Amino acid sequence: MRTTIAAARAALLALPAALLLALPVALALALPVALAPSPVAAAEPCPAHDFGDGTTTLSKDGATVIYRTVPAEIAVGQPFSVEAVACRDDKTAATAIRLDAGMPAHGHGMNYAPSERKLGPGHSAFDGLVFHMPGRWQMTFDVYEGERRTRLDHAVTVGR
Amino acid sequence: MTRAAAGGAALLLLCGFLAGSLHAPVAAASSDRQVAFSDSERALIRAQGPWPVATGPDSSNRFSGRPDAIALGETLFDSPALSIGRDRSCASCHDAARGFADGLPRGIGIARVDRNTPALFNMRLVRWFGWDGRSDSLWAQSIHPILDARELALTPETLRARIAGEAALAGAYARATGGAAETQDAETVLVNVAKILAAYQETIVSGRTAFDGFRDAAVAGDAAAMAAYPPAAQRGLKLFLGRGQCVLCHFGPNFTNAEFHDIGLPHFADRGRVDPGRYGGVKSLRASRYNLLGPFNDDASRATAGFTRHVRLIPRLWGEFRVPSLRNLTATAPYMHDGSKATLEDAVRHYSEIDEDRLHQDGEKLLKPLKLSDAEIADLVAFLRTL
Repeated sequence: MRTTIAAARAALLALPAALLLALPVALALALPVALAPSPVAAAEPCPAHDFGDGTTTLSKDGATVIYRTVPAEIAVGQPFSVEAVACRDDKTAATAIRLDAGMPAHGHGMNYAPSERKLGPGHSAFDGLVFHMPGRWQMTFDVYEGERRTRLDHAVTVGR
Repeated sequence: MTRAAAGGAALLLLCGFLAGSLHAPVAAASSDRQVAFSDSERALIRAQGPWPVATGPDSSNRFSGRPDAIALGETLFDSPALSIGRDRSCASCHDAARGFADGLPRGIGIARVDRNTPALFNMRLVRWFGWDGRSDSLWAQSIHPILDARELALTPETLRARIAGEAALAGAYARATGGAAETQDAETVLVNVAKILAAYQETIVSGRTAFDGFRDAAVAGDAAAMAAYPPAAQRGLKLFLGRGQCVLCHFGPNFTNAEFHDIGLPHFADRGRVDPGRYGGVKSLRASRYNLLGPFNDDASRATAGFTRHVRLIPRLWGEFRVPSLRNLTATAPYMHDGSKATLEDAVRHYSEIDEDRLHQDGEKLLKPLKLSDAEIADLVAFLRTL
């Protein structure tokens, strides 16, 4: 490592002075390009949805999640799915939704990792959730708009 | 005791979650004949039944529910042909007279194994098999003792030769499977034998108990019938549902949530050798070609493989073991995955005095010493004896 650093220092010192002066300028010009967000596709409109009865709506910081569970009633220890639509207040669809759940009093999450089926922009179904103990669980949705994440929680009590 | 409807399961009980904020129990232990239960407690009592639970055949096993396979499975279960020395059988450790267990802290086949011998009741209600849940079906679990060098110690080739070499077994096998063992590859014979053994084990179902009568009476609002349940058991049930929070893990008609927990027992299988528990179980499961995602699942839709597809492998699974059923547990002492608790009283005292230092840092936050009185321990044991 020390040899490499020394070699690099020697190479820099060997550069013409004008080039050394030009280097920070070139970096300053290039940096904003490197840090700029990569081109993003135009935002998709918030998808239409009609989940019927049993819909839950969560809103926070300009993000909204509307979801339902399948089956509607979650049974302790039995797998269930969640279908969710996530949008921004400007009526555009979220670019991604993530879902997990845990039991705060127990300090544990689920023993199973949900898998996602993308149904459209801002519209996903998550399979394989299991609440394996009776009591209060917490669903956690992460709604993404590009790099921006908004976390929405919802408490659900099962088996009582 | 018959194999189809009798006593005895459960080797570890997971109890001892300190009362939390989930509900507010009313009326503590009472000397009255009838113990008062809150609406929340009544809801939990309802969820512990009804019994028996109706089940259908296992669609991952084409032999499940077939009378010819069940009969052959029972023969194979008792047959010494399935052991390398022709001196042991499945029934040597899973003894019907001992609740389909062996009464030993740790099972002994050809050599001692690392864990307590599980009882074999109500297997259709089980999701994960073995204390670490390394198998996702009863038939896949049945492969392990056949091949384990400490248990029956056969190879697939030896098993095929044993089946083909005994006329009665060969004939029954051919009738059940539609093919002769001697012409099938050894792995096919191994999987078929395991599935046929599973078909038999599925028929070992425990009968109704005093608790089931109380539960049904509570659901029906039949106070007179509820009063027939011993007062000590009622007080123990109240502890089980309330301060003990045992029900959080021993939930549902089979008194288990079918999952895994760390209860602060030593993690060593032997001096210097760690038992990884569920962590190792998930790794074994994923590595096995006999899991429900593999080629031997008879359920072409793979609908039976949902839990296997989604199960997590995470560090906290170290030292977790399966929550056993508590049904008919009086026949299956000693208790816990390592057989370290000789009696039900010992098992309850474990939760009363649990050593929190033994729990994972990210372990069971609800698990605290219950600090039960001797009378409360006696009540809990009285309740457990009615299951």
